[in-house]
Amino acid sequence: MSDDVIKSEPEDCGRRKFLEKATGAVAGAGIAAASWPFISSMNPSTDILAKAESQVELDGIVPGEMQTVEWQGKPVFILRRTEEQIAKMSDSNGSSKDPEPDEQRVQQSEWLVVIGLCTHLGCVPNRTADGWFCPCHGSVYDNSGRILKGPAPRNLDLPPYEFIAENKILIRKA
Amino acid sequence: MGQLIKWIDARFPFSKFIKDELTDYPTPRNLSYWWNFGFLAGFVLMLQIISGIFLAMHYKADVALAFDSIEHIMREVNYGWLIRYLHSTGASAFFAVIYIHMARTLYYGSYRAPRELMWWTGQGLLLLLMATAFMGYLLPWGQMSYWGAQVITSLFGATPFIGEQVVIWLRGDFTVGDATLTRFFVLHYLFPFLIVGAVIIHLVALHFVKSSNPSGINLADKDNIPFHPYFTIKDLYGLGIFLIIFCYFVFFQPETFIEAANNIPANPMQTPEHIVPEWYFLPFYAILRSIPDLLGGVVGMLLSVLIFAVMPYLDRSGIPGGARNRPWYRIMFYVFIVDVLVLGYVGAQASSDLMLIIGRVATLIYFLAFCLLPFISRKEEQWLRKRGLPVEIEELLRYESQQQEKKDDV
Amino acid sequence: MNRHKFRTILYCCLLLIVFTVPARSGAVEVEFDRSTDSLKRGAVTFQNLCKLCHDMKYLRYQNLLEIGFSQQQVDKFRKDREMQESLKSSTTPEAAKLLFGIQPPDLSLMAKARKNGPSYIYNLLTGYHETAGGVIRNQILPDTSMPDVLAYSIETDVQAREQLEKTAREVAMFMEWVADPKADQRRRMGYWVIAYLVFLTFLLYLIKRRVWRRLR
Repeated sequence: MSDDVIKSEPEDCGRRKFLEKATGAVAGAGIAAASWPFISSMNPSTDILAKAESQVELDGIVPGEMQTVEWQGKPVFILRRTEEQIAKMSDSNGSSKDPEPDEQRVQQSEWLVVIGLCTHLGCVPNRTADGWFCPCHGSVYDNSGRILKGPAPRNLDLPPYEFIAENKILIRKA
Repeated sequence: MGQLIKWIDARFPFSKFIKDELTDYPTPRNLSYWWNFGFLAGFVLMLQIISGIFLAMHYKADVALAFDSIEHIMREVNYGWLIRYLHSTGASAFFAVIYIHMARTLYYGSYRAPRELMWWTGQGLLLLLMATAFMGYLLPWGQMSYWGAQVITSLFGATPFIGEQVVIWLRGDFTVGDATLTRFFVLHYLFPFLIVGAVIIHLVALHFVKSSNPSGINLADKDNIPFHPYFTIKDLYGLGIFLIIFCYFVFFQPETFIEAANNIPANPMQTPEHIVPEWYFLPFYAILRSIPDLLGGVVGMLLSVLIFAVMPYLDRSGIPGGARNRPWYRIMFYVFIVDVLVLGYVGAQASSDLMLIIGRVATLIYFLAFCLLPFISRKEEQWLRKRGLPVEIEELLRYESQQQEKKDDV
Repeated sequence: MNRHKFRTILYCCLLLIVFTVPARSGAVEVEFDRSTDSLKRGAVTFQNLCKLCHDMKYLRYQNLLEIGFSQQQVDKFRKDREMQESLKSSTTPEAAKLLFGIQPPDLSLMAKARKNGPSYIYNLLTGYHETAGGVIRNQILPDTSMPDVLAYSIETDVQAREQLEKTAREVAMFMEWVADPKADQRRRMGYWVIAYLVFLTFLLYLIKRRVWRRLR
């Protein structure tokens, strides 16, 4: 090959290295910035995010009745508890697996709002008189959604919600 | 890192490959910027594949959903509009780069021995690219998508004896429909990976015969320089210039390459006033339309793409290299380029008497250029030799024949 | 050097042509006010007038918040429809076919589906005139079934006509936004991207020159 290829001139070696490093940094930043739109495009689109909130009317649910609503594609149990149910739930902290006082799990003690997915492997538990029973592997929850027995590790999860009116709740984006 | 590479090198020719094929790869020192376009084509290929894959995560290949899914991408997918415009502009960028790359090859005679296989793999790549682009254009399911596909698939009806069956087989239906859309989507996704394979073969051929250069003559080894850092930085600089132009279109004129009529969902009951293919197909479309017979038109159109393949045999000049040392060939080249531009213009216009005449003359010139090349190239060589070749050419011809003798003696 | 300079200038001229030709062909003949207020007024006109017969299936009520409408204003538009619903015309397709013989086209993309879309829309809306025979015709679409919705052809008062023209312009601007809601974001990003690329390319040029100087 050509003999004219001078390897390098010592005087501007430092300057050249700086130029090369600077350009490398600028180019690297550009590549990182350019990949962001592609990564972001895989996140939920705006129409899905808009459905990430659900408003629920609480009228029409009588004490002791439970309704299931959809939120972000998941079921949410809304249980209107009777006085005895509230009293019984306040008495205990659930089981030793995930002890939690009932007051911490509700905003208004009459209304229990929990995500209707078993914390074991995600099946939808069935309603019983004293709570819920998961048919998949036998987990049992009380009327505060707390795990009593079975393989599930946690109490039923609480979605982020708030009362936007006396009889209306808004289940927000996480 | 150094240890890791040493471990790999003991089991796989990694460093050796990088050294032989990239960093120390001998490249003629006089390559001009016209030699940047192969690298640019590879870059655009990568860009199209990446943007295409991310689009495919949201696109729906169903006639009832396709158009809506594109609007979903444009309006609701995060940066969907950007990825879509990258892909649509990228298609045009791909053809622009490839056409310039081909023009460079023709001008400098880089298709001549021993680079015929490079030229033919390039030819194959062009055909794959055209098929990919044609199928991709159907996917948005706009008016132009639908009717463009309808017209072009109908052309296959020109096949003798089994024409009608071929068209139905191609479409999977009696007209362009859901079956067509689904298979075009699948094949449009597949073909770019065939293109990648063909590019690798193209590059293997390149590294065997090495790059040609603007002088058109095989330079002595002393005139080669290592690819890195000279051409790595030159390619990157050229990429920067390309990206500026490309991003201008993506961000400020993205609809330039999208026909207005394609913003209307496909309507099989109503043909738009004016069916126009994308700009990169216009010259071939013009040739198709200038030949009055259906089969003749289709054959003419196919021939206009395939005839490039015989260039190495049409060019019968003994003068090495390309247009640089051959004034008659240079004129032919410029005439050909202007003619292709005229054909492109004609292809975009509605049929009229004037356009028909111009189109036919331009088509004639197009094919004449190829057909007359054998005679003109030989006459030109005689003329040049009589006039006296430039000193450098004489020297290099002498040098090359010496080299050939040395090889023969061995 | 001379030949090199000449070629560089030639290429720059070619590039300039490439850049400006698409710009010119997209040039708008009408003077448009692209402010958000203008867009909002256009939206109101669309809601009260155009939407009687035309859908906009790709515009959701949710999107109206993006041009500055408040939640209350959007609530008034949508009445009891969901935020995620798209704008539907008040006329069913069947009734429309009876009235006009054809279903009025969806207008979400009309500003992009015609060359110089916003100008086309403006000229269409103000293209109604009374012919010698007393019939009302449209200059842009002579065979259209669409009536003179702005009552432009019968308006003689100059000031009133100007007001109708303003309304037509604002509707056209609203429709341009609906067809391409990301235009502003796209151009803003574009300035940054081009500036960055110019800077990076300049750095690459410096390295390229330095590297190639090493050759004799």
